[in-house]
Amino acid sequence: MSDEGVSLKTLSPRALAWQRRGRAAAAAWREFSSSKSGLVGLGVLVLAVLLALLAPVLSNEDGLDVTKATGGRMRPPDGNFWLGTDVDGRSILLLTWWGTRVSLLIGISAALLSVVIGTVIGIIAAHYGRWVSAVLLRIVDFFLVLPSLVLAIALSTVLEPGIGTIIVAIGLTSWPSAARLVRAQTLTVEARPYIERSRALGGGNLHIIVKHVLPAVLPLVFVNATLAVGNAIVAESTLAFLGLGDPFQTSWGGILHNATVDSAALAGAWWYLLPPGVAIGVVVLAFTLCGRALETVLNPRLREPR
Amino acid sequence: MQPRRWGIGLAAGVSALALALAPAMVPQVAPTAQAQNAPAKKVLRIGVTQEVDSLNPYIAIYLLSTNILRTNYDYLTVFGQKNMAPEGALAESWETSPDKLTWTFHMRHGVKWSDGQELTAKDPAFTFNTMLTNETARTANGSYVANFESVTATDPYTLVIKTKKPQATMLGLDVPIVPEHVYSKMKDIGGEPPMPLVGSGPFTVTEFKADQFVKMVANKSYWRGAPKVDEVDFIYYKNSDASVQALRNGEVDLVNKLSATQFDVLKNEPNVTLNNAKDRRFNELVINPGATTSSGEAIGNGNPALKDVALRRAIAQAIDTKTLTQKVYGEYALPGDGSYVPPVFSDFHWTPAPAQSHQFNPTAANAALDAAGYKRGSDGIRLDHSGKPLNLRLLTHSEKPQEQQGAPYIRGWLHDIGINVTIQPLSDNKINEATTAGQFDLTYSGWSSSPDPDNILSLQTCSARPNAQGKGGTPDTFMCDKAYDDLYAQQLAEFDRAKRIDIVKQMQSRLYDNAVNVMLYYDDSLEAYRKDKFASFATQPDPGGTITYQQGYWGYYGAVPAGEGGASNASSQDSGSNTGLILGVIGGVVVIAAVAGVVVARRRKSTADERE
Repeated sequence: MSDEGVSLKTLSPRALAWQRRGRAAAAAWREFSSSKSGLVGLGVLVLAVLLALLAPVLSNEDGLDVTKATGGRMRPPDGNFWLGTDVDGRSILLLTWWGTRVSLLIGISAALLSVVIGTVIGIIAAHYGRWVSAVLLRIVDFFLVLPSLVLAIALSTVLEPGIGTIIVAIGLTSWPSAARLVRAQTLTVEARPYIERSRALGGGNLHIIVKHVLPAVLPLVFVNATLAVGNAIVAESTLAFLGLGDPFQTSWGGILHNATVDSAALAGAWWYLLPPGVAIGVVVLAFTLCGRALETVLNPRLREPR
Repeated sequence: MQPRRWGIGLAAGVSALALALAPAMVPQVAPTAQAQNAPAKKVLRIGVTQEVDSLNPYIAIYLLSTNILRTNYDYLTVFGQKNMAPEGALAESWETSPDKLTWTFHMRHGVKWSDGQELTAKDPAFTFNTMLTNETARTANGSYVANFESVTATDPYTLVIKTKKPQATMLGLDVPIVPEHVYSKMKDIGGEPPMPLVGSGPFTVTEFKADQFVKMVANKSYWRGAPKVDEVDFIYYKNSDASVQALRNGEVDLVNKLSATQFDVLKNEPNVTLNNAKDRRFNELVINPGATTSSGEAIGNGNPALKDVALRRAIAQAIDTKTLTQKVYGEYALPGDGSYVPPVFSDFHWTPAPAQSHQFNPTAANAALDAAGYKRGSDGIRLDHSGKPLNLRLLTHSEKPQEQQGAPYIRGWLHDIGINVTIQPLSDNKINEATTAGQFDLTYSGWSSSPDPDNILSLQTCSARPNAQGKGGTPDTFMCDKAYDDLYAQQLAEFDRAKRIDIVKQMQSRLYDNAVNVMLYYDDSLEAYRKDKFASFATQPDPGGTITYQQGYWGYYGAVPAGEGGASNASSQDSGSNTGLILGVIGGVVVIAAVAGVVVARRRKSTADERE
């Protein structure tokens, strides 16, 4: 405590705030690293992101071009093609590797989109209350009861096929739960005395939301986003599996879709189905592990009773 | 924190897949002992993945519907089983007047409808006259009567048809003859006829549940003689892999429209006979030569650079149809050789002479483009004559795996000659809208030819072009070539077969020179049946033809159950009480359909290019 007293005299408020944040982050990391599963998840994610970023450096994109494929038609794994080939004779290993890029890109973008929408709506609903809240919550309820898969299918059918469409389709259908969560958190934050004090000192709505409410709900939003990425990747794979993705982008769901269309299961071509399926499972699990670990670190309020 | 509905979504998808595979693990049900007294019913169960749009022959255009109705209703004349030459059916004989404008058909005596009423010349007269007076009745087969002046039944066994101009296709009228005593009582001629259908063919439809099954029973009083099987069931599967599994497990006896992978998988089945038949369909890449309406005004938004025939020929020359065919179909298709008429119709089949040919040769294509002044830009993409880079859109049917697989090849090859291609997968309906209104640069297309190629030849005439709204026509390439149209009129009025064949070949040569389309491949029709249940089928043509989806009813009518004609009837006993099994199959289909339904419902809609 005496340390803080010294700092108070010597540091500007801004530097002080950063120092406090730095300490909080260090504490958070200590807490996070005490969770083995969280560390494993983080390791897998770092690896996946590195592989995705380095794919153009470490491998040759020509291998994805059907006119330059060298393998046979749906051949099992051998020395040249460690995970076998698809119907065009392309390496499944290479396809799965490059699929990481699209799946991660769409998963993260869609999760961000849904969390941003959810946060904005949640905070506005809680902050303004009354009829604003009533109207927004009815909209939230409406989206909440709609089966998101059906809605996403409808959206991706109507819009032009492509990565952007998939991101929008997933983002627009998965935000309501984030909105509910953020609203609840905002309500508890706004009930605290310092919000009232800020208001008494003349703080406007924007000031209160940006300076006081948002920082208080951000940890929760962050955790929510991490978990949402996993869901978004599954969603992307589902849409692509159903043939609604961009057929000319290699994604895990897209490989599974091709495998289904090419009757891989009927032909017993397990090497066509397993790699993308396992990749989806592993990466989604990693995001969930990370998210759960973060959840317990950053927001004990949500910690499940043990 | 988040609802896990997405997880359920994928799980549903995966379980649909698992369901499709599950039967592989279930041991085959042993044939159950049949009641010894009742003779076993012989049922042909066909697994299909196509839909039935209607069972009204005036309306139905989907492949499966027309095929079922072809079996339900007989024709004046049919395409023969062996060589597809027209032969008499309801009409026993016929003659034409010297000016070729009056056709007199003599009806077969003693032919009865399945309800016992006699079939007379009044029935075909009613059928054609309804089409002449009612626009709705012309929906499916209107083109056959467009040139008709009048149709009259002069006596119960004589039908006289007068045409406005000589018509060489009079023996290929693909119009099912309907019973007057049923259809004259229908309030709406476009509505569904009452069940069971009253027919004159070898089988009649007794039951129909949309997206589930169509049940046809043998017409014991069929004029050619009763069929050898008692019942034909078309059982609907959403997923063609599931129908293949059903065949493996003996739940169906015959499946068609198999993919190369499915066909190869079935090679290892001991109880399955494969039928690899040459089909009557061609698949093409259409190059928009500057689409115009029937009155000659420009329509759509095709790239104007494609009006140059040199550019179109270079595109044709850049596409390696052999590799494409091999990659997409393996050995189960013939690569496009330039002939517009599929090779199965060997009479009309035409191939370009070497000097005329623009077969695959990227070097020559590049040289031709250099010579025509298409300079390459800094990025390697050529510029058109107005200095814009050559960017072309390629439309593909998003529900056709062969096109999804093949389009990247075409993009790659055209990139090699300096043309940039953007692939746009669209639903069948959207493609139909876009291509009918000329809103495309390149598009996949394909048609099934009749044994008489008139139906596909007419697609390339000026009059096939649509009106200003993009309606009222069935354009394929939007070609409007006076020389071609003159030849078209000439062949339609030419009754000497050899001379007509020669004219049709000249037309194909003309079409080829215009390079408005590239013949990609003529895919085989892959079928498989249980040899423990059925000994043989009548293929059309014979040998080497198809069992299902013929231009006639020979395949089902000529089905011979296994053991038939032998001393014992042992093998037919297990096809006895099929009702339970069929209900089980249908139950399974419904479950799969329910899971996959939402997604797949909008797919698989047959479109104009699957029309007959």
